[in-house]
Amino acid sequence: MTAQIELTNVNKYYGAYHALKDIELSIRKGSFTALVGPSGCGKSTLLRSLAGLESISSGTLKIASEVMNAVPPRKRDVAMVFQSYALYPHMTVEENLTYSLRIKGVAKAERKKAANEVAAVTGLTHLLGRYPRELSGGQRQRVAMSRAIIRHPKAFLFDEPLSNLDAALRVHMRKEIRALHDRLGATSVYVTHDQVEAMTMADHVVIMRDGVIEQQGSPLQLYDRPANKFVAGFIGSPAMNFLPAVGGQDGRSIILDLGIKQTIALDRAVQPGRPLIVGLRPEHIELAEAGEGVLSAPVALVESTGATCFLTMQTTPELSVVFNGRSEARAGDRVGLNFASASIHLFDADTERRLPD
Amino acid sequence: MKRFLSSIIDGRGFDIGLVSLPLAFLLTLSGLPLLYNIVMSFQEVDMFSLGSFWRPFVGFKNYRDLFAQPETWPILANTATFVVASIVGQFLVGFGLALFFWTNFPGASWLRGLFLVSWVMPGLVVGAIWNWILSGDFGVLNFILRETGLIDGNIFWRSDPGFSLWAVIIANIWLGTSFNMILLSVGLSAIPRDLYEASELDGANVWQRFWTITLPMMRSSIGAIIALGLIFTLQQFDLFAAITSGGPNNASNVTQYWAWDLSFRQYDFAKGATISVIMIVFVMIASVVYVRSTRHEVRG
Repeated sequence: MTAQIELTNVNKYYGAYHALKDIELSIRKGSFTALVGPSGCGKSTLLRSLAGLESISSGTLKIASEVMNAVPPRKRDVAMVFQSYALYPHMTVEENLTYSLRIKGVAKAERKKAANEVAAVTGLTHLLGRYPRELSGGQRQRVAMSRAIIRHPKAFLFDEPLSNLDAALRVHMRKEIRALHDRLGATSVYVTHDQVEAMTMADHVVIMRDGVIEQQGSPLQLYDRPANKFVAGFIGSPAMNFLPAVGGQDGRSIILDLGIKQTIALDRAVQPGRPLIVGLRPEHIELAEAGEGVLSAPVALVESTGATCFLTMQTTPELSVVFNGRSEARAGDRVGLNFASASIHLFDADTERRLPD
Repeated sequence: MKRFLSSIIDGRGFDIGLVSLPLAFLLTLSGLPLLYNIVMSFQEVDMFSLGSFWRPFVGFKNYRDLFAQPETWPILANTATFVVASIVGQFLVGFGLALFFWTNFPGASWLRGLFLVSWVMPGLVVGAIWNWILSGDFGVLNFILRETGLIDGNIFWRSDPGFSLWAVIIANIWLGTSFNMILLSVGLSAIPRDLYEASELDGANVWQRFWTITLPMMRSSIGAIIALGLIFTLQQFDLFAAITSGGPNNASNVTQYWAWDLSFRQYDFAKGATISVIMIVFVMIASVVYVRSTRHEVRG
């Protein structure tokens, strides 16, 4: 468990704007780490700081145990896949792939051999003579990755590499990138705004907001135990339901406010009268017969994709429910809702932090 | 009338009408004089036949006579020197400035705008100013060269046959640099930033980035500016009129000035036209290069 990339107390200012705030991050060698967050959260700035395209204002940045704060990008030995791919338009695919080797002064025959090897892995062999403008989006994406692979760098940095592809190709490339990562045993850092990408591809997910790391951990850790309301709402699709509540007088229940107040028993202790936010994932709610279940509410909207059914309840705030299969319920029907007490997430109403279980 | 109206409404035919207007303009004001000039180069023209179009046809006699004249080859050589030296000078200084302003220091765009002053000035004014700068007795250029110890005595730039052509070249480089700079600046700013970032991560230093990214990406801009430079320097007349008048003894004479001199001062219209035809050939070649290089834009 050696750290390939280590950031200690890293800060970044653009003038007065504080873009990265006290970043502490350790990226294990061989891991796939996703930096995820809404736009403007600093994830790209963080990635570009790793690459050396941005300089950090304070703190320490180590790659393979060497301090890299003032080392220029070309000496960091990291490869980056850009959102725009940044392929050299005046070079063929082969020249694009071997550019770094050419800069290093590798002999032509050796460069050709390396290009052929990488192209065989990424399925570009028949495209080596083409120019980037003659390639499709997916092919360009592959060239950009191959250009990184050929260098055997200390780390791969991905800056939203799939956002220019259509949905079907994105799902396909997701798997391909992950498979490639496993095959190469590389260390990858992957920036995305898409939490599904982060959850499906990464071993370690770092969630950022406003230049701060809100939480980091394995995808399931983040899903099961979100540290605050922001993380809870960011991870999972459709998003978690947030309902206002207060602690019940007996200390082992909560009083939900869904327009009408409802008391729900809890599997853990809670301070009586404390204002709370209750988080409930739509997929953790089950439908029950009217009058049964923990809650009862009228249906506002039923949406079905065939395989999955999305229900929106006519409550304030709205409550959404999702389950596999189909539903007989129609808008206006009153249904019962059931969920396990253990699936309830509790957050403090003021700090929005998760309450200890 | 109905057809005309409908052509405006449905647009059919109207586009041809729009195109024919500038085409007619080009044909009457550029095409016909060009053809007339070519025809004249194969005719015997004197003051008395100037008014008529049907003049005695003499074949290539004008061309043979022209190249029999002793000053023709030196003047063609002068033209070549003038064109090559001007373009090289304008391009190198212009590209250097464009790269300099590209670093985007505070005030860069403001300063770059100021450089355009040289381009908006009329050639005759530029010539008059350079006359003072180049002046043998009190010129600033001589003063600087003398004070820095590069020369011992004054150079009489405009009247020394060894320097008079270079006097015009220096003025022309100054005149054309800003145009080169602006066009090359546009080309530079069109290169995507992330290409530099990618090549930087691929290990390229500043020098390698310049040779492997900047120059190849600028290929079409450079082709265009050199072709335009060729056209503009072959058109450069004002500076010769203002600075040396082609002298002394044709030492700084070039074809474009000589053509005017032959036609309108020696009234040898046929030879003037002949020289012009030779120039047209070169300008045509430059135009083809220009059109081809702008068509060959490489953009991701």
